[in-house]
Amino acid sequence: MLVYEPGDSVAHRLDPRTKLLVQVGFAAAAFAHTTPRGLAVLSVVAVGVLGAAAVSPLSAAREYRFAAPFLVGAPLVEALRLGPPWFEPAAAVFPALASYRVVLVLAVSAAYVRTTPVRESRAAIQWLVPGRAGQFLGVGVGLVFRFLPVVQDDLSRIRDAQAARLGSDRSVRDRMRLVATTGINRALGRADRLALALRARCFAWNPTLPRLSFTRLDLPALALAAGLCLAAVV
Amino acid sequence: MIETRDLRHAFGEAVAVDGVSLTLPDGEFVVLAGANGSGKTTLVRHFNGLLEPDAGDVLVDGTPVEEDVVAARTAVGMVFQHPRDCFVAPTVGADVAFGPENLGLSREAIDARVESALAAVNMRGRADDRLADLSGGEQARVAIAGALAMEPDHLVLDEPFTGLDEPARRSVLDRLEALSADGTGVVVVTHDLRGVLDLADRVVVVDDGRVALDAPPADAVESLADLSVRTPAEW
Repeated sequence: MLVYEPGDSVAHRLDPRTKLLVQVGFAAAAFAHTTPRGLAVLSVVAVGVLGAAAVSPLSAAREYRFAAPFLVGAPLVEALRLGPPWFEPAAAVFPALASYRVVLVLAVSAAYVRTTPVRESRAAIQWLVPGRAGQFLGVGVGLVFRFLPVVQDDLSRIRDAQAARLGSDRSVRDRMRLVATTGINRALGRADRLALALRARCFAWNPTLPRLSFTRLDLPALALAAGLCLAAVV
Repeated sequence: MIETRDLRHAFGEAVAVDGVSLTLPDGEFVVLAGANGSGKTTLVRHFNGLLEPDAGDVLVDGTPVEEDVVAARTAVGMVFQHPRDCFVAPTVGADVAFGPENLGLSREAIDARVESALAAVNMRGRADDRLADLSGGEQARVAIAGALAMEPDHLVLDEPFTGLDEPARRSVLDRLEALSADGTGVVVVTHDLRGVLDLADRVVVVDDGRVALDAPPADAVESLADLSVRTPAEW
């Protein structure tokens, strides 16, 4: 599941601000360079980032499998025609490159999420974006990372509960409807309980955040971030 | 001290708490028993301002809860029925630190509290463990640690033994006994009195939103069956 996992990889030891800057730089470069050559270079960078985080590409791909239908579907839809020849592969090329670009950005973000505790993310965001805006953003990011795995868990349990009573025999549409409606109800209930838990422990907009400090290890990563940002504008 | 005066709370037409006046002194171990739907959970959620009364007052250390909710939530730690409902972070250490961070304490003070709270529940050295990977008993203990890190005067636990096997239940009871011996007031909300009755100074039974019984365990035992509360065999 896409959550922080304690570890001792290079990425674990980087300051979260460095990792955020690498992410931002990578995303900017990916959207600026959509040619096959540009994406090939970025693929190498992405594999390197995953390696630094000790996250296998396969594992990262599994985390984002829910995006697969959209990433694969977009080029297919673009290539479909309402008349002969019904399918034009050339039309799928650009959307496919765009989808691949998204895959690379997601891979780098998986490395970030796996190696960065939520509190440190929040501290990094509030350092980079000062004031109220940073507080809102930090809290929002924290809540998303707290809540998303819980919702994923619930959806998985709902599917299991369906299957245990032969629900798998129902039509796809029926199963999707059941999972969606039950999932939404559970998510709303969980949101209530999470809000209660936050209030019970005096949730504050300005809690004590972890201390952040750059080390020598951050220098090459910061250089990478700067290089990626430069590549995006050049 | 936690005090309620003529506390009333209704959910629409359904009156969950009906004129409850109760005093819970510091350091006392109280079992709050009653059948499902008797109003126990609704009652205790007023102690730290998670619910506001429709009528009556709730005071913590003499101060109405609504006047200083932060003080009330610091003085009264709460552990919900399902430990997972308490968790707000992915790892043990991050979750236990959550409360003290909100109090604006220094990082050193927070780390010390986390260390102390984890030691109190016999989870020392497990700060980096993922909550999702813990057993039910371990999750229950971490939920208690999360409340203890606020250094409350009272610890309220709502059905803390749900889903626990006997060894896990025993482990939680041992922790509660140690806390009570250290002077922390403990309120255990439960309808299953096995083991916990031995530790209690007092049994309060809630029936249909009202206090039906408030007595030491030895005196309360005879009346429990009439109030749909099962007495442990050894009693």
